[in-house]
Amino acid sequence: MMPEQEIVTKEKQQVQGTETTRPGRYYVPDVDICEYPDRLILWADMPGVPEKNVEVILKDSNLTLTGTVSPEAYNNLSPVYTEYNVGNYFRQFALNEDIDESRIQARMRNGVLEVELPKREHAKPRKIDVRTA
Amino acid sequence: MALIRFDAFDPFSNLLALQQELERFTRNPAFSLGPSGYGAYPPINVFEGQEGTVIIAELPGLDPAKLEVSGQGRTLTLHGDRKREEGLNPAGYHRRERPFGEFSRSIQLSSDLDMAKAAAKYEHGVLTLKVPKLEAAKPRQITVNVAG
Repeated sequence: MMPEQEIVTKEKQQVQGTETTRPGRYYVPDVDICEYPDRLILWADMPGVPEKNVEVILKDSNLTLTGTVSPEAYNNLSPVYTEYNVGNYFRQFALNEDIDESRIQARMRNGVLEVELPKREHAKPRKIDVRTA
Repeated sequence: MALIRFDAFDPFSNLLALQQELERFTRNPAFSLGPSGYGAYPPINVFEGQEGTVIIAELPGLDPAKLEVSGQGRTLTLHGDRKREEGLNPAGYHRRERPFGEFSRSIQLSSDLDMAKAAAKYEHGVLTLKVPKLEAAKPRQITVNVAG
């Protein structure tokens, strides 16, 4: 087994190219997407986002993820040392795979959004039996 | 340094106020070489409140049972191991951006804090450590006795 790399912090990237009407910066969440024979699973790191503040929308093969943080925990505090900024999360993907929208499931666990995207029946790989004549 | 105060009725501009305050701090000339712990995992922000010091770290996707917070003398240490959740061998990866692995980070606290009363909370992938000031370091009201 390969040894696990040393874990480092990357600087958060701000979302480019989209302007939002609400003031405040949006950051690009780190994402992993795995493909399985029957589905895709996507994980997005959104620390500080509670379940009720996540939005997952699939429309015309465009998957949009939005997570909103609330600044209340910082009330009456003053920063003395900072390494990262706090912000909402936004990311969009154009899906190549044919996803069954009605069966999408999303969960939020410890600041990680997990989205399960099941493929449509006809998009799944199928083994065809070859018969002898 | 300004205290971050929010208007309870306007959560959106509140977020911007917080972001600007954090940014102003990062741009402070005293930090022109960058913060001392830059790149270390997890990233932390340290705040001063009336009760003491609040340390906030972004640690998404951690099994709380694998997160250890310990204190010795004036040193606070965060230790943990972040594991991947994909389990089954996937047929392929389309994105692989999230950081995983073991980490250990120590933070030196100032001497007026009471390590024995430190409290830690892990919620929504964020670790919040509150370390109150020592009783002796708290501001005190002194009663003025009127003589005779």
